[in-house]
Amino acid sequence: MLLLQNARIASENSPVLVESDVLIIEGIIQEIGTSLAIPEGARVIDARGRVLMPGMFDAHVHFRAPGFENKETITTGSEAAINGGITGVVMMPNTRPALDSATAIATVLENAKHRARIPVYTSGCVTKNREGEELAEIEGMHRLGVIMLTDDGDTTADPAVLLRAMQYATEFGMFFASHCEVPELAGPRALNEGVMSYRLGIKGSPACAEEIIIDRDIRLARAAGAHVHIQHVSSKMGMETIRWWKSRGDVKVTAEVAPHHLLFTDEHIGDYDTNYKMNPPLRTQADCDALLEGLKEGVFDLIATDHAPHTPFEKAQDFISAPNGITGLDTALVSLHHFFVEPGKFGWDLVVKRYSAEPRRLMGLPVAAIEVGQEANCVLFDTEAETTFTKEFMKSKSQNTPFIDQTLQGRVDMVILGTEILLER
Amino acid sequence: MARKDLLDIASLHREEIEFLLDQSTSFKKLFTRSVKKIPALEGKSVLMLFYEASTRTHSSFEVAAKRLSAEVTNFDVAHSSITKGESVRETIETLQAMRTDYIVVRHGHPGLPAMIARQTTASVINAGDGAHEHPTQALLDAFTIKEKFPDPRGKKVLIIGDILHSRVARSTSTLLQKLGVEVAYLGPGSLVPKYGPATIPRFTDYEAAMAWAPDVVYLLRVQMERQDVQFFPNVREYHRVYGITTARLAEIRDKGLYIMHPGPVNRGVELCDAVMDYERSLITNQVENGISIRMAVLDWLTPGGDFPKQEAYAARQQAGSSLLMP
Ligand SMILES: [Zn+2]
Repeated sequence: MLLLQNARIASENSPVLVESDVLIIEGIIQEIGTSLAIPEGARVIDARGRVLMPGMFDAHVHFRAPGFENKETITTGSEAAINGGITGVVMMPNTRPALDSATAIATVLENAKHRARIPVYTSGCVTKNREGEELAEIEGMHRLGVIMLTDDGDTTADPAVLLRAMQYATEFGMFFASHCEVPELAGPRALNEGVMSYRLGIKGSPACAEEIIIDRDIRLARAAGAHVHIQHVSSKMGMETIRWWKSRGDVKVTAEVAPHHLLFTDEHIGDYDTNYKMNPPLRTQADCDALLEGLKEGVFDLIATDHAPHTPFEKAQDFISAPNGITGLDTALVSLHHFFVEPGKFGWDLVVKRYSAEPRRLMGLPVAAIEVGQEANCVLFDTEAETTFTKEFMKSKSQNTPFIDQTLQGRVDMVILGTEILLER
Repeated sequence: MARKDLLDIASLHREEIEFLLDQSTSFKKLFTRSVKKIPALEGKSVLMLFYEASTRTHSSFEVAAKRLSAEVTNFDVAHSSITKGESVRETIETLQAMRTDYIVVRHGHPGLPAMIARQTTASVINAGDGAHEHPTQALLDAFTIKEKFPDPRGKKVLIIGDILHSRVARSTSTLLQKLGVEVAYLGPGSLVPKYGPATIPRFTDYEAAMAWAPDVVYLLRVQMERQDVQFFPNVREYHRVYGITTARLAEIRDKGLYIMHPGPVNRGVELCDAVMDYERSLITNQVENGISIRMAVLDWLTPGGDFPKQEAYAARQQAGSSLLMP
């Protein structure tokens, strides 16, 4: 029994935080109201001033298992999620072996059940071993609960293969998540083509490499009557392409944006800092501004981190040799607060809608909300406290993030899921 | 005012450039003496780490180091396949254990010499890192130009060719601009990026570029090997559109323009054979000046100092990234 007193409750439907007491009994929210009576044996938490929100859900994470457990495991990855106020995730299938069969999916889900304290879902490959040629074992994976198919990290190159996959899998109610990039245009896929790539002397990836595939895959989905979800959009024109297709209303499109694409530009790469090397690459301030606009308008249905851990050894190489990707789970919620909510660029309602409710809807899961009768799935967040992202603070096995050793405003104080208190600071 | 490393032109101050050019003048005077060696770097070791083959730059550094009485060692990497950053780091650990004083490094990956510099006490000289920088080439180019134009301010240098992949274009134009020289680019649209420096005019038409009235025409080597895709149809067409043809050489001679090229020259591509006998071709001067410039650089740098540990680098990176916005 848990009584949170005077918490400021956030919901996706209102920008106003409502101050209330919340009583949780046996993992269910029993009562919400002012000055609730303290039941006998209840633990009372003074939550005054702090925000109580539903647990976040990240629909795009790389937990690197199986195959790259030196970078991350399901345990360390899900602990990083909890550390950041995230109570559910969807893994990407670019593991080794790739998650392209019922057997592979079954193994991962079994592991997740024992090794994670939060629900861990997974997507499956579109094609066998993500090679873009033969279809993966689509129905077999569906039987185990997979509904999202993606060759994340690589675009399914042959449009005919993707179209057939869409026609086939849509019959099972599955949808497609697209990593959008024409590899022939992208070079070593390290950074945006422009002033910075010229200065650093590295072949860049032009924004059009992304725009082309966004448009292509939406057209394919329209032809197949499929649902396509556009992953980690990085460019202004990419956002505008999605906006245009959504405004037509004759194809089911959803899209996501990652916090780092809202926050950083290619300029941050500076002196070849590999913590800013990711794919799709960081672009320009104009792109960041457009992505923020797209998020506020709802062009982007969800925020997802593309949590991509790599070992310090790998990231300490030169820019070309280092792998793409940054971690995001430990830092996402605090950074969204620090850079957007606190300065008033958007409210908690947007965070809850885009990082908790919509991702769960996308995955066909019940939406978490602070409402009577709901299972307790919530995060208590202190907007006044600070978080310093030291190596020790991070629960991810890797610390390849630009936020390392930075101090940002906001702190995840408590994460509650059902009858468990997953985290308490 | 001495530094540990020479990694790029972008971070050099004007005074440092002037100093190096002056020193190069003094070293060049030694060349006419019968004994060309001086003991400036006696007892010091210079390690040559060339992941990309380059006879010209390699031997120029070697001669420069030997004239300063340094001991020169070649680290055999040219024939190994060890070119990825991961294995380079293992090499660096070995080099640090050897306590060499100078490392002259050429590698296809931009930023790699800087990475080595952060991890060793040796003075690191970037002898070319991918399409990023080639600082000693820029210095020798500037020195060669200053021999003809002691006050180069306001002079105009037209750089022709593959700007996109050229570290020479980047370093030399940055340096010349620091000396008050005007620079313009000419080349095929596929090789002269629109997002290049805004302060450098960009031509795609030879006649228009000549109308800009350059004092020096600087031809870049067409590097077919660096082109993963085709950037122009063929070398004959390239020569006709962007090369110094016999007819164009006549015009250049009439106008008294100087011609430069970082070498090695693709004859019949960047320029016709007759350019080699042109009295205002500075191509051999560039080669000669390479030695005195590299002597000046080696003499100027100061190896040693604290071993910059990974943590120190990490701290520096954070200092940089704490400029996080918004
Ligand atoms: Zn991803």
